[in-house]
Amino acid sequence: MKLLTHNMLTSHVRGVRPGGGFPLRIQATEVKVNNVDFNQEFVARMIPKVEWGALLEAAESLGHLSDLPHQLPPEYENNEDFLRKVHHVLLEVEVMEGILKCPDSGREFPITKGIPNMLLSEEEET
Amino acid sequence: MEKEASQLEKDHVHRVYEKIAPHFRDARYKAWPKVQQFLSDQEPGSLIADIGCGNGKYLHINSQTYKLGCDYCFPLVESARNDGHEVMVCHSLYLPYRNECFDVVLSIAVIHHFSTKERRVRAIKEMARTLRVGGQMMIYVWAMEQKRRKFEKQDVFVPWNPSPPSWTLSNTCSRGIQKSINQKDKRLAMDQHSTKLAGTSKARSSSFVGEKETTHNLFEKSLRWSLFSRSLDSVLDLSNQWHQRELNTFSNCNIQLDELNTGKLFEQIRQGGFMKHISNLSLRCRQNFEDNASEVAVEPGSPMIFHPVPFKSCYSELGQDTKQPPMSPAIIYDCSRVCLPDLLSHQKDVKQQLKIDYHSKQSAFRKLQNRSRTDSSLQDTDNDCSMATRNKQPQRSPNGACLRYYHVFKEGELVELIEHHVPELHVIHSYFDHANWCVIAEKIHVWKI
Repeated sequence: MKLLTHNMLTSHVRGVRPGGGFPLRIQATEVKVNNVDFNQEFVARMIPKVEWGALLEAAESLGHLSDLPHQLPPEYENNEDFLRKVHHVLLEVEVMEGILKCPDSGREFPITKGIPNMLLSEEEET
Repeated sequence: MEKEASQLEKDHVHRVYEKIAPHFRDARYKAWPKVQQFLSDQEPGSLIADIGCGNGKYLHINSQTYKLGCDYCFPLVESARNDGHEVMVCHSLYLPYRNECFDVVLSIAVIHHFSTKERRVRAIKEMARTLRVGGQMMIYVWAMEQKRRKFEKQDVFVPWNPSPPSWTLSNTCSRGIQKSINQKDKRLAMDQHSTKLAGTSKARSSSFVGEKETTHNLFEKSLRWSLFSRSLDSVLDLSNQWHQRELNTFSNCNIQLDELNTGKLFEQIRQGGFMKHISNLSLRCRQNFEDNASEVAVEPGSPMIFHPVPFKSCYSELGQDTKQPPMSPAIIYDCSRVCLPDLLSHQKDVKQQLKIDYHSKQSAFRKLQNRSRTDSSLQDTDNDCSMATRNKQPQRSPNGACLRYYHVFKEGELVELIEHHVPELHVIHSYFDHANWCVIAEKIHVWKI
């Protein structure tokens, strides 16, 4: 599970407050770092689509925060240095084994072989 | 109804896909070109969700975009993961995505597996929830109207075979089969057979005995397809003339339509008596055989592959048992396990025409069940089948095919579903593609007053 994927994920357990299921806390037991080709335009276009705070939080929990700024720099589209750091965090860091924890309910969703299992039990379905 | 719907999908969608997942690399599961085109046309940096991605056949398209696949089936998701895709396991009615996070959502050959209209609408709405305003959704579903074949009903079971059989349609092309089935002498054979099954003649049909192997198989096949492509609500379908006749025999079998709502009918169906009766009824109708000879339920766009069913027990009983139509009990059992929660949605007009008493029907069912149990060979196989069920195997026909449930869509049905029930989606484009009804819809802002 890449951090770009993680940024889209939310807990959808019944009873969780609206927005209360995001972002899922990552407890990783196995993290992999890959080399992914850098595509500047791709990364620049992706940034407005992610929840920046959640991305930082996730990166930090995996020890890959490096020196990513808390605020988006102005005109980041042309800031290659910045974009490369974002690229690394979004696409190159992968959680292979671990748990995604709902911040509201505490419900844990396992990640196995890089695949998150987001299935709910019948009781948890809204 | 929700529980029955969910159970039907568990038995005849989820378990089957789990079983057949290893074989999904076959050529018959190629990507549809128009879907590929749609994906290729998306602008760089697009976030795309493939809901029900299967083994991920669309996830590699357009490397300028980021694709996220999800599916209910673990083995298929693993297969996609092994190809390097970002995938997860989830249920498409409960997507683990935050609101409006995707630019594009795909639903290719997925929602036709939902067994009620309500669930199909929910699936579309849930996908729409994750789509940003201005974003596009592409939906593909199997069409009821297809060029080379015709589904008689919208709710069907499609057998899937793990391995291509030795006798395949490469021997005879599909058209050839239809042609030969419709030949006059075959009609005669079927006529005599069905007459016999109705119990009017003990003597084995002479033309039948002399039939060649292929015709024998063809007949078996049409018989089997006839049964499988018929939905359980066919007996209640008053628009069909055949059913009118059968309803006369049913006249003392009554169902309170309100009772259907409470799910009591489904209990009956689960006991197997209902389906046995339907199979009896269907065998008595020669006309239906002719109509259904061309009826096939196969993967659209793929060569038809079907294993001939060993109907040996069926034919050995010809002329011996005049009371009990010798239908392969395993097939009956297959279908009898299934209940169709959406029976009512097709039968709204039935309510006015037919007011029936539920309790008389119950006793009629029990009579039929008891009658079927007098045939010991049926009983034995029933036990075998119930063993299989206890082991929680997906329902299988004698030749090992798994049955997948489909609700095939009529022309305009998908568009109507969206226009009437999903105001947040606006249909931009709808078309027919390779036996699928397709829609491209845009997420719009719904103003609440």
